[in-house]
Amino acid sequence: MDPAAFLIDPFALPFMAKALGVLLALSVVAGIIGVLVNLRALEFVSDGLVHAVFPGLVIGYVVSGREGLYVGAVVAAVIAAVVLTLVSRRAGSSDAPTAIVLTGMFSIGIIVVSTQSDYVGQLDQLLFGRLLTVTDADLVQTVIVTAIALVLVLVTLKGQVYRAFDATGAAAAGYRVLGLDLVLNVAIALVVVAASNAVGNLLVLAVLIVPGAVGRLVAGRIGLIFAVAGGFAALAGWLGLSVAFALSVGAGIPAPSGATVVLVVVAGYLVVLVVRVVADALRRVRAGGATGRLDHDHPRAGRVR
Amino acid sequence: MTARDSAAPSPALRVTGAAFAYGAETALEGVTLELAPGEAVALIGPNGAGKSTLLKGVLGQVPLVAGTIEVGGQTSRQRYASRIGYMPQHDDLDPQFPVTLEQVVMMGRYRSIGWFRLPGAADRAAVAAALAAVGLTDRAKRRFGDLSGGQQQRGILARSIVSDPSLLLLDEPFNGLDQENRASLVSTLAALKAEGVAVLVSTHDFDLAQQVCDRVLLLEHGRMAVGELPPAPPRTP
Repeated sequence: MDPAAFLIDPFALPFMAKALGVLLALSVVAGIIGVLVNLRALEFVSDGLVHAVFPGLVIGYVVSGREGLYVGAVVAAVIAAVVLTLVSRRAGSSDAPTAIVLTGMFSIGIIVVSTQSDYVGQLDQLLFGRLLTVTDADLVQTVIVTAIALVLVLVTLKGQVYRAFDATGAAAAGYRVLGLDLVLNVAIALVVVAASNAVGNLLVLAVLIVPGAVGRLVAGRIGLIFAVAGGFAALAGWLGLSVAFALSVGAGIPAPSGATVVLVVVAGYLVVLVVRVVADALRRVRAGGATGRLDHDHPRAGRVR
Repeated sequence: MTARDSAAPSPALRVTGAAFAYGAETALEGVTLELAPGEAVALIGPNGAGKSTLLKGVLGQVPLVAGTIEVGGQTSRQRYASRIGYMPQHDDLDPQFPVTLEQVVMMGRYRSIGWFRLPGAADRAAVAAALAAVGLTDRAKRRFGDLSGGQQQRGILARSIVSDPSLLLLDEPFNGLDQENRASLVSTLAALKAEGVAVLVSTHDFDLAQQVCDRVLLLEHGRMAVGELPPAPPRTP
């Protein structure tokens, strides 16, 4: 197979170029924010926000059709992010409030969408996305929403990293931890909004979480982790879209673009994970053969390293 | 590294009739205390006596419900926050967190760097000086989680002094340290005191309090009593 024909030629088609534009904007920002999600172990909170955005998408669609999707989703996302942050802080843990918000909001979405006559078709579109039918307006909205999310995180990045490492120390240094949490959760929610339209509400989590996890596997320094996560997300998005096109057009196998992109993202993670596990095993074998010593000065002293 | 206001007449810390509460429950009351620049006071008492509450109260993390707090003559928390260095108990730090010791110490400069600027030469020089002060210059590039517990503790101390504070609040800094790291911490604190930094330190270790501190503040059941420490006993070789 000619790599250029596989990776570049499909994007000469306008609908593929728009899909790639949406995916690249989304991937880079989701990759960067995903690192903070990973460092703060906010995967479940992100899941809660994903489900909380669903009724916003549905209500926006019911009220204003396709044009109402973004507005409804943004409103629901911001409300959910603020409520989840405040309730989690008051409860002292995010798990129970997240589970309540997650199930409650998703149920509202299902009930609202069930009132529509074209119930199945609409639900399918909201849950699985419509990457290949994005309009110019969708592209602009995605770029704006992801840009706002990126700015929110970049402006507060030093505080976010400090808070992720040591919340007590950050608060003592004068950072408003609640404010930082609100900003991060709103940024996550905005990425969820942007991604819902592209890959669908059910698959958003992969775009948000997997690149950050890949960054943690590959790199040991925080700056490099951000770069790897953003780069991996963009590359996997591009490759996933190419694969979907090749399967659908070249091989005649109907491959939903959003799901194919997510599968490529997950496959990339598995490849990196296997390489990391093997590399760690080889390193341990070499280190064990060379020394077999006990390091008493190590925080996990007592383990043979 | 010098204390900012070592020549100023104001005490480094003045707490007058202070009471602190978590919600409706008063955790500590009747606290009156004054620290001169270069002076060190130990907070001693059983668990739950209010040692950490007092430190967090000075930081503004536990609400002050009665009395006043002045740091370097300032009563506004916003104005005096940058004068305080704080070393929390750090049992819950993630050892896998991907930061080097140098980056952890740089966190102590983040507030002065601001939202939009990257660390500059002055910030890097301050980090190098703080690491030298705690004897960890050669570990600067090591991942924080790969350091021993004692080295991590000294690294957090470096973070708390990197912004040149006039008041240092230390929460159980000697917990879990071996003899070498304890000696290193004691000598670093003595050097900071000599430079005019006031130190308020909570500890269970009376011997170490004697080596480092000029006075002791005994806390029990959320109240305080003040007493002078006897001089440190001569060290045996």
